[in-house]
Amino acid sequence: MSAPAARRVEPVAEVPISVTVNARAVEAVVPARQLLADFLRDDLRLTGTHVGCEQGICGACTINLDGEPVRSCIMLAAQVDGSSITTVEGLASEGLSPLQQAFKDNHGLQCGFCTPGFLMTLATVDPDEYPGTDGIREAISGNLCRCTGYGGILQAVRTAWNRVEDG
Amino acid sequence: MADAFVLGSRPVYTGTHVTRRQDDALLSGRGAYVADLRRDDMAEIAVVRSTVAHGRIAAIRTAEAAAVAGVIAVITAADLTDVSPYPNFASAYTQTPGTFPLAQDKVRYVGSPVAVVLAENRYIAEDAAELVEVDYEELPAVTSLEDALDPDSPRLFEHWPNNRLLDLQPDDSEAAAILAGNRVLRRRYKMGRHTAMPMETRACMAEVRDGRLHLWCTNQHAHIARTTLSYVLPMAERDIRVVIPYVGGGFGLKQHLYPEDVVASWLALRHGRPVRFVEDRAEHMIAAAHARDHMVDIEAAIADDGRILAMRVQVVQDLGSAEIFPGAWCPALTTAAHMTGPYDIGHCAVSVAAVATNKTPGGSYRGFGVPEAVFALERFIDEIAAEVGVDRLDLRRSMLLQSEDLPYKTASGALLDSGSFAESFEKVVELGEAAHRRAAAQHGTDQQSRVGVGYAVLFEGVSPTHHGASAHWAGHESCSIEVLPDGGVRVASGVTDQGQGTTTFVATLAADALGVPIETVEVELADSDSTPYGLGAFGSRQAVIGGGALLLAAGEVRDKVKRIAAHMLEATEDDLVIEAGRVHVAGSPEPAVTMAAIATRAVIRTMDLPPGMAPGLEATARYEPELMEHVPDERGRINASASYANAAHAAVIRVDLGTGEIEILDYILAHDCGRVINPPIVDGQIWGGIAQGVGGALYEDLRFNDLGQPQTAFMDYLMPSALEMPEVVIKHFESPSPNTPLGMKGVGEGGTVGPAAAIGNALAHALAEFNPQIRETPLSPAVVRAMIPDRGAAT
Ligand code: FES
Ligand code: FES
Repeated sequence: MSAPAARRVEPVAEVPISVTVNARAVEAVVPARQLLADFLRDDLRLTGTHVGCEQGICGACTINLDGEPVRSCIMLAAQVDGSSITTVEGLASEGLSPLQQAFKDNHGLQCGFCTPGFLMTLATVDPDEYPGTDGIREAISGNLCRCTGYGGILQAVRTAWNRVEDG
Repeated sequence: MADAFVLGSRPVYTGTHVTRRQDDALLSGRGAYVADLRRDDMAEIAVVRSTVAHGRIAAIRTAEAAAVAGVIAVITAADLTDVSPYPNFASAYTQTPGTFPLAQDKVRYVGSPVAVVLAENRYIAEDAAELVEVDYEELPAVTSLEDALDPDSPRLFEHWPNNRLLDLQPDDSEAAAILAGNRVLRRRYKMGRHTAMPMETRACMAEVRDGRLHLWCTNQHAHIARTTLSYVLPMAERDIRVVIPYVGGGFGLKQHLYPEDVVASWLALRHGRPVRFVEDRAEHMIAAAHARDHMVDIEAAIADDGRILAMRVQVVQDLGSAEIFPGAWCPALTTAAHMTGPYDIGHCAVSVAAVATNKTPGGSYRGFGVPEAVFALERFIDEIAAEVGVDRLDLRRSMLLQSEDLPYKTASGALLDSGSFAESFEKVVELGEAAHRRAAAQHGTDQQSRVGVGYAVLFEGVSPTHHGASAHWAGHESCSIEVLPDGGVRVASGVTDQGQGTTTFVATLAADALGVPIETVEVELADSDSTPYGLGAFGSRQAVIGGGALLLAAGEVRDKVKRIAAHMLEATEDDLVIEAGRVHVAGSPEPAVTMAAIATRAVIRTMDLPPGMAPGLEATARYEPELMEHVPDERGRINASASYANAAHAAVIRVDLGTGEIEILDYILAHDCGRVINPPIVDGQIWGGIAQGVGGALYEDLRFNDLGQPQTAFMDYLMPSALEMPEVVIKHFESPSPNTPLGMKGVGEGGTVGPAAAIGNALAHALAEFNPQIRETPLSPAVVRAMIPDRGAAT
């Protein structure tokens, strides 16, 4: 879904926001009702944030907001004024981060649609709080994947977190 | 298999873990799915959907919506004057729903598209869609397959004699005669309604460039989609290009060419602007294909030791409104084709009915009729064992096909040319019994729970004909290979990639078949302008059929490479090997000629070619398996698949007697898909398949009330998360098929088809003291609680 563009419809309240996205300062005027996911995807062209349900359930749209994982499909762009956001495009300055590399090496993705959400959830997690493979399951339990059955994802995280012995 | 299907002299990639080339883009958010595509002048659509399950459309008022600023058009079926209904190529044996992209006169399910708003963006389109008013004269709804079978039920289609789209009653006299003289056992099994639910919803974007229609979409077949569009729009096929970019999972659901694809195309042609449709999840729940919803009645003649002597089976599939293309009756036929399982059951007569109801149209979903057959048969075998008083494992052993029985033609016509039925079964029994002993030791003293182990053993037709579903397309696949002057290779094929790794297997086989470094192979898929006509993704066919076409094309190119190299090296072709992009005499790496030098000669310095040789270093080949049949014989028998994979499943579960919840403690699967190309990709297919099978067995349920109103929102549609999905132990068997390229068999569905049966049997084992009747899925906590005395009343 995209924000009202050239031809305006009816008076829609607009809100100015300033926000840091992937270490870049962004000033924008957004429609009050625009979803954060749509702002990122349509206005900033950061389409790595995927929308799987628009209902806060699947986790595909997860981004990091001031260091916390949040679902960008159930937030408004207007709410993030003054915040700092990281999306999957900002995870590594070049190439792949160790976690991304572990997903690649362990076949942790198939269609890849859910993958940015998993990566952004895991990016904020302290591994010590999620011991063992059961801990990893807990950590990713708010993200749905329909392709992998989670086997490759668990193996990727075990590798990234140096837990291969659990496998 | 004929020598045409060979890898090159020194294969180095096949059978290893080649990492996937799209992963860098996907992992960093750079892979563009359809919803990520945008054009500056793009407009978007929102669909007005029926709110009633069955009704006549009395009036549609669109004026208010059309007046909204930013709305470009509001259309209904009446506007599509130049559009044809979807064709029905199966009219010889099915009724015709006459499906039209937007509802004409009647609606037959909640979610049926009635009108479409085209606006500057989706926000405006959705606002305006709410202003479209539709008056319905409601009709009584048919909401279950039992009701639909009743000849007095309200008819969905007035021009049909009843609600049966398909009604096949093959001659069952042989089975009947055996039933008449023996002990007979009868059971009814049902598999509930669930769906593929890919994480990416459906989407398309249509754009007209230079008078041609370009459609980017999430469909699984670029060419079938193009041909279908040409029938429906109708429009010259040469003027249509279908492109499938990254797709977020298909699983069969995206096999159908949906109304929105047609309407977006029509609007783009009419208004000259790019038109995008991105389905939201709420729409997906009611408007994308549902699946399963089968009832299987088995009557079997039983020997004293429990062996099945003959079966008479009735399969009934609830099609929903049946307004979908290709039609969705084929899963029922597939159920019929798998009813004997990998057992020596000499007589099996299956009648098949597919009925229309006022629910979302059913369509394809991974497994495609096989989970229904496996659930019914494997539960039935456990029930026979209990009834007759024999061991359920021994009963299977007494009927399972042994290697010396192969090749074996099942009573349904499937030609099982290879397999490891008994071996894979014994493997999971060994591991399953051990896991069950561990579980019993750990939880045996717990009065509040029970543990059990259950098994399922199965074969599964893979790489099938498309004819069962479409009655039109058959079963070939295509591949073009071109070596460019610098030695790089371009491979274009009709297969497509929804995340299963198709691109990677194409690169792998091409590199090995030509003897070049995999980095020098460029793969082009899923663009109807740049790939040869092929059938794409369905039925776990792509490695087998697509691989076959690829090996044929590569063989032609390889032969020519050798002929040119022999000329350059003054050697004999038969002495040459190609490896790492260089050709030399076997055993002496120098002198060598590079692929670049050979290709340069073939297409640039053609005057240096051997005398009489035509220029060029390329080939296009098509492969259609010889033994695959497209139409059944008079007794309904058909060998509808080019190959048959097999698997054995074991589930060890713990049932909480208080809550009725089932926890899967161990899941073991032995799988045989013949030659493996990429082990992690094969394992990934199995894990993912099991997750979908477990979801259907335990949690996922699409419910409708008596009015035909859908009762399951996305929030209530419980797909397994990492917490519900068990750790899986996979054991591989490799029984190469003598009849397929490299002995390959498909792997896409083997994980999905077994869990309902294995878990159902584990539940029966765990709750044996209560003699539960486990004959339906999903086995939700409420269903399980009802099996436990004194707990049934609790909800
Ligand atoms: S799209 Fe945001 S949670 Fe599903
Ligand atoms: S990889 Fe496809 S949904 Fe996770």
